[in-house]
Amino acid sequence: MAAPATAADPGGQQAVQLAPAPLLEISDLRVTFRARGAHIYAVQGISYTVEPGQTLAIIGESGSGKTVSAQAVMGLLPGSAHVSGSVKFKGEELVGRSQQDMRSHRGRSFAMVFQYPERSLNPTMRIGAQITEAVRTHVQLGKKEAHDRAVELLKMVRLPAPERRFYEYPHQLSGGMRQRVVIAIALACGPQVLFADEATTALDVTTQAQIMDLLLELQQQTGTALVMISHDLGLAATYAEDVMVMYAGKVVERAPTKELYAGVRMPYTQALLDAIPRIELEPHVLLPVIGGRPPDLASVPQGCPFAPRCPGVQDDCRADAPVLKQHEAGRWWACWHPLGTGARQ
Amino acid sequence: MSLPAANILTTASMAPAAEVAGPAGRRWARNLEIAIPATILVLLLFFCFIWPMVYPVPKPVGGSLTTVNLPLWSKGHIFGTDIVGNDVMSRILYGGRVSFEVAAGVQAIGLVAGGLIGLFAAYRGGWTDAVLMRILDIFIAFPSLVLVLAIADSLGPSETHVIWALSAFSIPAFARVSRAAALQLRDRPFIVAARLSGTRAWRIMFQHLVPNMLPQLLTFTMLGASLTIILEGALDFLGYGIPQPTASWGNMIASGESFISVYPRYVVVPSIFLLVTAISLNMLGDGLRARWDVR
Amino acid sequence: MTATAPPAASDNGILLEVRHLVQEFVLRDFGGAKGGVLQAVSDVSFDLRVGETLGIVGETGSGKSTLARSVIQAPPPKHGEVIFQGEELVGLHHKALKAARRNLQMVFQDPFSSLDPRWPVSRLVEEPLIAYGEGNLAQRRERVKTVLDLVGLDPKRYGIRRTRELSGGQCQRVAVARALALEPKLILCDEPVSSLDVLVQAQVLNLFEKLRAELGLSYLFIAHDLALVKQVSDRVAVMYLGKLCEIGPVREIYSEPLHPYTLALLSSIPDPDPQVGRRDTGKVIKGELPSPLDPPSGCRFRTRCPRAQDRCAAEVPEMRPMSNGRYVACHFPLAGNWQEAAEPASQHPAAQQATTGGIPQQGTIVDDIVNNQPA
Repeated sequence: MAAPATAADPGGQQAVQLAPAPLLEISDLRVTFRARGAHIYAVQGISYTVEPGQTLAIIGESGSGKTVSAQAVMGLLPGSAHVSGSVKFKGEELVGRSQQDMRSHRGRSFAMVFQYPERSLNPTMRIGAQITEAVRTHVQLGKKEAHDRAVELLKMVRLPAPERRFYEYPHQLSGGMRQRVVIAIALACGPQVLFADEATTALDVTTQAQIMDLLLELQQQTGTALVMISHDLGLAATYAEDVMVMYAGKVVERAPTKELYAGVRMPYTQALLDAIPRIELEPHVLLPVIGGRPPDLASVPQGCPFAPRCPGVQDDCRADAPVLKQHEAGRWWACWHPLGTGARQ
Repeated sequence: MSLPAANILTTASMAPAAEVAGPAGRRWARNLEIAIPATILVLLLFFCFIWPMVYPVPKPVGGSLTTVNLPLWSKGHIFGTDIVGNDVMSRILYGGRVSFEVAAGVQAIGLVAGGLIGLFAAYRGGWTDAVLMRILDIFIAFPSLVLVLAIADSLGPSETHVIWALSAFSIPAFARVSRAAALQLRDRPFIVAARLSGTRAWRIMFQHLVPNMLPQLLTFTMLGASLTIILEGALDFLGYGIPQPTASWGNMIASGESFISVYPRYVVVPSIFLLVTAISLNMLGDGLRARWDVR
Repeated sequence: MTATAPPAASDNGILLEVRHLVQEFVLRDFGGAKGGVLQAVSDVSFDLRVGETLGIVGETGSGKSTLARSVIQAPPPKHGEVIFQGEELVGLHHKALKAARRNLQMVFQDPFSSLDPRWPVSRLVEEPLIAYGEGNLAQRRERVKTVLDLVGLDPKRYGIRRTRELSGGQCQRVAVARALALEPKLILCDEPVSSLDVLVQAQVLNLFEKLRAELGLSYLFIAHDLALVKQVSDRVAVMYLGKLCEIGPVREIYSEPLHPYTLALLSSIPDPDPQVGRRDTGKVIKGELPSPLDPPSGCRFRTRCPRAQDRCAAEVPEMRPMSNGRYVACHFPLAGNWQEAAEPASQHPAAQQATTGGIPQQGTIVDDIVNNQPA
């Protein structure tokens, strides 16, 4: 990516200012599942980067491919998934690597927190043991040192009474506390990218706020990049710097948060925003919502995948699939007739 | 579904279930898992029940001393003859009938009687459940073979009595499986919803619970059938089962046992059939369970 | 954004009266020994008028789902009264309960598990009609068609399908259709859209509104999402650990919450407007949810409430009527506009010295709120 023209240097004549090299460079990532003879095109060529310390939100509904793409990056997909394209972590290509190679990366380079903390924790193992196990996966530590590190991690995630909790079982903790433990495990070996896949969806809204605050605080402390995967635009608005919207396996819009919410380009994003119940609205007002459902991922549609449901659809939308392009500085969208500009790009 | 902490970082199996079923390759194998044993069983059933009706198979009894002890692959007697001159092949076929009939009978009785008991106990709960289960516990507590022998002995040897005796074993087994399946389903939202819609208990039991329990029950039937066939063989072997001269795989093994060093085929041939049938039923049961679980 | 037609003028009679409802669960340890008693619903009372939608909001352990189940007597509550259409439901069994419950239906959270996966849609919708012996076969089929049309599912296309062939939204429509089959007066909705995607959720919510307007239905709408509850409700009740915190007309609850817990809930919602930014929830709620087995004495919220005083531990706050049909159970209810009370940390003067990030030092901003209590 060439350095964009800056205000002080309109022509971009100066020597290219090197932005810090992106941690993750994903390029034309495709994931196809083979099942019962049919193909499911779960991810249809997405590209994005994650910079160090960045907070990126990937927003989409079920079937958009947001979770699958993150799992593809981490190498967590089953053998039936065919992954192509390029995923580079600090320049190192990850697609096609063996599970053994990926294991050396997981935890150390990147980690993931999932939706249901009770599923990520072994119910028959004490919390402390699970953390020390994580810690010792990548680092050689003695038992005492691992214990101390584990307690340190529990303190870092603000788990009350960490010394005591070390010896407790997951069922003795509440949902929010369990998620804190999961976060502690994920961060145990100091990963540089943390994926949070609907990490707060199953939590109460008060707990969600606490956990998100914690994640952001930890992020600032450790410099980890945070990729939040969610369906909740409110969450993205409040906690993310950049937002990337996915639909039917493709990225349809990406922008810095404030700019996105100030002026949405992609009609799908607008539809999502319109459909969220807002506190400011009057009760008993019908939400403006488009009908239909996301397309079946068994085939790659010819035109824009959103065309069947788009309120502003035109003929060319059905004919050609729009390509994701950076139309304005830092803003990308894939739409022939984006909102706010009116013209075909 | 939870795994040790290290697995968060290390294994692919941690990933939440992908949106689709397993790979196509495995599905094809699963079809074979069901197709092969099913084909074998169908063939066996065909030969035991239908073939003798259309092809003049030699009688399984009343052989003459002139045809004693013929070896395998003899003309007209593909498996040879036994020590009293009966054609082994036809004894296998007719004996197979007995084995299948007993298996079918025992499983059917178990499924219906045991299934109902378990369903009822699970749905009603409370005292009904407690009492029914304690009664069944008594049956289960007996060593199964001893119980079956006791019943067979007191009733006397015959095919029907063997079925009754073995049912004493299958009814409690089915009751347990059926109760477990019904308990799992009983508190599911759709049952609660059906109750709230006003549906009567019997309708809930038979139109909601039973259809949803069928996969588990049918799988158990297959697996139980294989066990029954073996038990029936054991009964015959011990002399409490089908009396001679009627053939059954078990009593063929029993009567051939004394000649095992001289004519091992009298034991080996029925044993092979017994083995193949039992394995096929097991495989079929497993295959069906795998198929239905995934869905 | 169009508003729906207001519901037809009703006699505003009370459709549902709930008095001092208590629901308990006995927890069993291994081997069936009695472990502890969980009081999931504790002395809850409220009314619901004809044509009204009462929203019930609460988080995990609040008892809201248990409350709905207790109202519909599945299972019946331990103590208390539930008077529906003038008839006491508690204590009724079998035929009498079935008759009394005819006009009361329920829609559950997970559409897939609340419908029998082996039954086709038309049979599922017909089930209540058969159970109550309504009409003959032809009439029932007609009713099924009507009701499926009402919820936006074409009976010809969807009548024969099973749940595995349907999406979450479609399944939920089937559940709603089934609830409508007997022309109920009141529908209990237990988190009916929580498991649905954003767009589908909006579609189903609109369906609820449409049905409310067309059929004059009343709803008891349970959810954990505050914005959602506001969308559909006339009045809202907030629950915490089995007790009602406050109840009142929807607009007022949201603009001027009286109970500190309501304030905490409102402050925790991430606003889809980046200008608002992160609100400082540390000011309005702290700590973890206590175990429902051993709730705090006095006011159950006191362990997390920044305004708690000694009285809160000693005395259980009663539901007190305030102005305008509002009730609150708090010794020191809030007053004033909550948006000011819960300013983002960065804008609050005291926060300038606080650490960066979201969580302030205890003792700076919390003191501020405590010192601002009303007389």
